[in-house]
Amino acid sequence: MNTNNNLYTVIYTTLIVVVVAALLAFVSQSLKAKQDANEKADTISQMLTASGFGTKAEFQKMGNAAVLARYAEEIGKAYTVNVSGEKVTDLPLDVVYSPKELKRQNYNIKGGSNKTGEPELPVFEFKNGITVVPVYGAGLWGPVWGYIAFEKPVDGSIAIKGAYFDHESETAGLGARIKDDPAFQAEFVGEKPDFNSESIFEIVKGGSPKNADGSEVTDNKIDAISGATMTSNGLADAINTWLGAYVSHFKACSAQTEVPAEEPKGEEE
Amino acid sequence: MNAKLKETILNPIFKGNPITVLVLGICSSLAVTVTMKGALVMALSVIVVCGISSLILSLLRNTIPGRVRIIVQLVVVAMMVILVDQILKSFEATYAIDKQLSVYIGLIITNCIVMGRIEAFALGNKPWPSFLDGVANGAGYGMILLIVAFFRELLGSGTLFGVDILNRLGYVPNNLVILPPFALILIGCIVWVQRSIQKDLQEK
Repeated sequence: MNTNNNLYTVIYTTLIVVVVAALLAFVSQSLKAKQDANEKADTISQMLTASGFGTKAEFQKMGNAAVLARYAEEIGKAYTVNVSGEKVTDLPLDVVYSPKELKRQNYNIKGGSNKTGEPELPVFEFKNGITVVPVYGAGLWGPVWGYIAFEKPVDGSIAIKGAYFDHESETAGLGARIKDDPAFQAEFVGEKPDFNSESIFEIVKGGSPKNADGSEVTDNKIDAISGATMTSNGLADAINTWLGAYVSHFKACSAQTEVPAEEPKGEEE
Repeated sequence: MNAKLKETILNPIFKGNPITVLVLGICSSLAVTVTMKGALVMALSVIVVCGISSLILSLLRNTIPGRVRIIVQLVVVAMMVILVDQILKSFEATYAIDKQLSVYIGLIITNCIVMGRIEAFALGNKPWPSFLDGVANGAGYGMILLIVAFFRELLGSGTLFGVDILNRLGYVPNNLVILPPFALILIGCIVWVQRSIQKDLQEK
């Protein structure tokens, strides 16, 4: 057979591409449920890690079912708010926002041609009073996202309990340290984002300037990663964009706690 | 087993090792050798991709139009890479490793070993030897990966397969070992050792 015939070549390549495409589509569809379940458990373990319920490695060892069970045990309520801080809807307690959904909301916050509607920002409140919100933005090579957990507001200011970040394709050993380096994530602990200023949170060289006694002048600056300026800036941008969208919500939260009588009522719901 | 088949299997492991002799697949061997687990999964993935794509293309070898053979190879290899990636993503045990390896699983397609062996061997040989050739080359690649990962995880994190070995003895992990340049130094050392054993590789 003459395999160099033009017609043969066209038919052959068409056929092989169609067969391969059909096979891949079939495999992708049949494995989707499992992959989504893995992604969901991963997202939940990130939220639990940010909130200080354990380390990411511990949750990885536990397995998906145990992670979901732990989450169900700890989660108090979940709802979405708009940029004015008003509650939009309640979320079922087993729903979390996948990176794909965060991307959609990121477009909604930033506006532009990809906007599909008004932002609906998720807030996850654990039974022990810790609140977790996601952040999402662009790193150097691809998206970066993560979860920031906040303590209960004290005297009108809200401190960060912990944070966990993830990325799609940042450079291993440099930008990837936002995920892999616990020391970087630990820098967030105890910081207080400044919800009254333009730059709510900053990731800069050297972190906050120090007072003579070694204490930090400001509570909303942490040290950036050497060799990963673009990732650090991208993450800072993601945090500012998202916390910026949550400003009204957090202001309302910290205002509420100044009336102590309201707090127990809120927890009973 | 005849001598030729034996040669097909053993040659890529040592005498004609893809990394140390042919110097193919260097890029990924620098990137995925930070931990033993990652290196092992990567090695197995390359073995599967290399073996099965060689098998499929060897079966098709008499029907492939010569002018588009590289494109056909590419389609088959890409299919195998996506299949491996999808399967790794669907199991709980491998999901985290797949995330850690991130783009490098997808980049197996750019690994010259796979296309190189198909072009050089599978298109001119029967399916069974082609399959073995693919598997053996993947194994030769994987072996170097595991050797490099052994030193990098042991000295860089003080652990092996995530189990603490050196840290409990008061070892302070060396951060240089974690960074890619050290992998290149290690591979250089492996090439050195191999060349001093196998004198015929040395240039006059």
